[in-house]
Amino acid sequence: MDSMTAVYIAQGLHGLAYGMLLFLVASGLTLIFGMMGILNIAHASFFMLSGYFCYQILQWTGNFWVGLIIAPLLTAIVGVVVERFLLRRMRAFGHVGELLVTVGIMLIILESVQYFWGTESLPLPPPHILEGMVSIAGIAYPIYRLFVIGMALFVLVILFLILYKTRIGMIVRAAVTDPDMVNALGINIPVIFSLVFAVGTWMAGLAGVAIAPIITVFPGLADQIGMDAFVVVITGGFGSLGGAFLVSIVYGLLNSYGIQFISQLAPVLMFIVMALVLIVKPMGLFGERE
Amino acid sequence: MNNILETKNLFHDFSGLQVLSNVNLEVADGERHAIIGPNGAGKTTLFNAITGTYTPSSGNIIFRGRDITSARPYEITRAGMGRSFQITSTFHRLTVFQNIRMGILSKKGIRYNLFRRVDKMLDITRETDEVLERINLTEYRDTPAELLSYGKHRALEISMAMATDPELVMLDEPTAGISKDETEYTVSLIRKLTENKTMVIIEHDMDVVFSLADRITVLHHGEILASGSPDEIKNNQEVKDAYLGEMEEE
Amino acid sequence: MTTKRLSWIFWIALLLFLLLYPHIFGAYYTNVIVIFGIFSLFALSVNLLLGFTGLLSFGHAMFFGVGAYGVALALTHIEGCPLLVALLIGIGSSFIFALIISPILVRASGTAFAMLTLAFCMLMYTLSLKLRNITQGEDGIGGFPIPDLNILGIVSFEMTDPVNFYYFATAVLLISMWGLWFITKTPFGMVIISIRDNAMRVDYMGYKVVNSKALVLLVSASFAGVAGSVYALFQNLVSSDGVFSIMTSFAPLIMTVIGGVGSFFGPIVGSGVMMLLEEVVTRYTERFSLVSGIVLVLVVMFVPMGLTGVVKIAREKWVLRRAANE
Repeated sequence: MDSMTAVYIAQGLHGLAYGMLLFLVASGLTLIFGMMGILNIAHASFFMLSGYFCYQILQWTGNFWVGLIIAPLLTAIVGVVVERFLLRRMRAFGHVGELLVTVGIMLIILESVQYFWGTESLPLPPPHILEGMVSIAGIAYPIYRLFVIGMALFVLVILFLILYKTRIGMIVRAAVTDPDMVNALGINIPVIFSLVFAVGTWMAGLAGVAIAPIITVFPGLADQIGMDAFVVVITGGFGSLGGAFLVSIVYGLLNSYGIQFISQLAPVLMFIVMALVLIVKPMGLFGERE
Repeated sequence: MNNILETKNLFHDFSGLQVLSNVNLEVADGERHAIIGPNGAGKTTLFNAITGTYTPSSGNIIFRGRDITSARPYEITRAGMGRSFQITSTFHRLTVFQNIRMGILSKKGIRYNLFRRVDKMLDITRETDEVLERINLTEYRDTPAELLSYGKHRALEISMAMATDPELVMLDEPTAGISKDETEYTVSLIRKLTENKTMVIIEHDMDVVFSLADRITVLHHGEILASGSPDEIKNNQEVKDAYLGEMEEE
Repeated sequence: MTTKRLSWIFWIALLLFLLLYPHIFGAYYTNVIVIFGIFSLFALSVNLLLGFTGLLSFGHAMFFGVGAYGVALALTHIEGCPLLVALLIGIGSSFIFALIISPILVRASGTAFAMLTLAFCMLMYTLSLKLRNITQGEDGIGGFPIPDLNILGIVSFEMTDPVNFYYFATAVLLISMWGLWFITKTPFGMVIISIRDNAMRVDYMGYKVVNSKALVLLVSASFAGVAGSVYALFQNLVSSDGVFSIMTSFAPLIMTVIGGVGSFFGPIVGSGVMMLLEEVVTRYTERFSLVSGIVLVLVVMFVPMGLTGVVKIAREKWVLRRAANE
């Protein structure tokens, strides 16, 4: 295959990898929004926190896989604690209070990681088996990125199966569209909220660990993916997983190709698209809730 | 007969569920018209369609000869209609005085004025106080709406519908939740306030209906079952069949 | 002594204090109070939306920043641009910017509104970084000439003198604060607080809510633009991180919440408290934002009415106690 096509494919795979990770983060965000009506400003901070946790675990155990398993779990625990003890208290007072609390949490996490780990970017090497390149149809492609795509797909398939094939999944889906109704049916809504929050945060944490070997761990991580995830949720529609998936992949690919061909304006382009979508459809492309 | 309000072949559905079917309502100028029917008959939906909360799926609404089918609430209010809600909907943190004043300001078209202190607009203050007198809430002038007793809050709610001095007043279950003794008072208040106005009222309390209404329209499953004078309705067999006993309630 | 008399005495005393301030406290604290004034006005503009209209703006820095860049660009590119003209250009830029984005913003409420403002602010941040030829990117625009304040060609004051600048800035900021206060007392002020309480009812009272929201947005943006313009003149450096960052948006919010959203003066109190806090905290640690975050969470959860709210409640209790004892 000629080298131009090879470059396109490589770019495409890059974009796909980023799009998948973005979806892992955005899906949690959009589910939380669907259920609670607030966009968790601190969501991307959990993504970043998990990267730091993994780095630390790597320092202690030298084992990436242990980090991959434990760090997201730890992050999910932090998330549940925040939800249970801080956010839940604010629910009665309306969205403004909850939003402000998430702002506070974001600041606390951002500053804490700098306090404990400094401001330098920390390298997080992938495990030995995943290092190096593999040859696909004549181009060399990093194994690790393929692993990322595969892992993300795996998690997403599991998520899909749980949401659409199990009873608890059905309850969650119902709760995301109409929490009051589900509450009226006698189902323990606060527990479901915590569950969704935990899973959403866990997925963000997983993505945080996954991305670390590619771009290292640094305090600006939250800003970067936060902006992108946020754009995805708004464009794809509040509460819509399908929308988030579509937009994430498109965004990942656009970013990839955009950076090659339209240079600096890729993030701006996305904002413009988002603004246009919002003018035409104020609830995002697929959103149902206000 | 001069009709101030007419709906022609009004249909409305919510995602496939037909809530209003071929509703042809006629409200004569100056009359007191009651809309009754069992829960879910579509009464509030009809109100919502008329007052602009939503645009009906099909059909027309004519107010004073003007087609207001797709008009928004603020346009409808400016055209001369006022509406009260079944669930009290006032400016809860504002005082009773400030609540009513909003209506007076709106009536006078003062909407975007950022150049005069509103408290120094003495004519507005006077008019607002006059309204407060008429609705007997003067002693609660400076009480925040949310601190009023239920009955008084309801009275405020009803007054807000009339604060813009509309020609047509739409009241949605004004006596909902009010105790028996206070109901009589509320009815006489409504009667006083709607003198020289046309009024359409949704009510479940039949005593209120029969003491206020000149004409009654019965809604059932989104359709008009019957429409006529209170006596006609009382003796209408279909209506009696539709709610056996409901008329004898209370 | 009547409350009105006390009030007059208070304001006159305050005015006198402000007049004599730089001569009492010296250059360093003169600059501190100018920053205090700038952020107070900025926070007041945020509260016009939050406390008065019920709209949470997460991206108010965009109006602040547009004002700042407006001034910086005017003074950099327009030969001999007078001070007041530059100021007007700054304010006008914020106004026009708000005008352009208002059709999108006013159709949203609640969380959507907050997120949209955040998005637009991030957009401005990115644009200011990328459009290097206009904004000098990361480095920002700095060292532009600060012209003298020239009144009718008769008398001229050098703005490079901190005391002179203090009087100019204080005058501009005080007039703006008074303007904002006045607006809250007008019929339009009543409309916006009604929207806060019950937007639907406002619609049914005959007001086009979307238009009112647009107007309050324009007003709020303009005053944020004033703050940003004065900031540009004061700092003589306008950069993306300085005026469009997330923290620039969140700082006035935190100040407003701490001071109390329910009172006009809350943001001013909050601004003062935050500055004091910063003075104290930065002696012990660099991580002031950490303290801000913790304070924000604590205040929102346990003292949501803010300091002015606490004072109000305490005063009411005191009045009740006095009445009970009589």
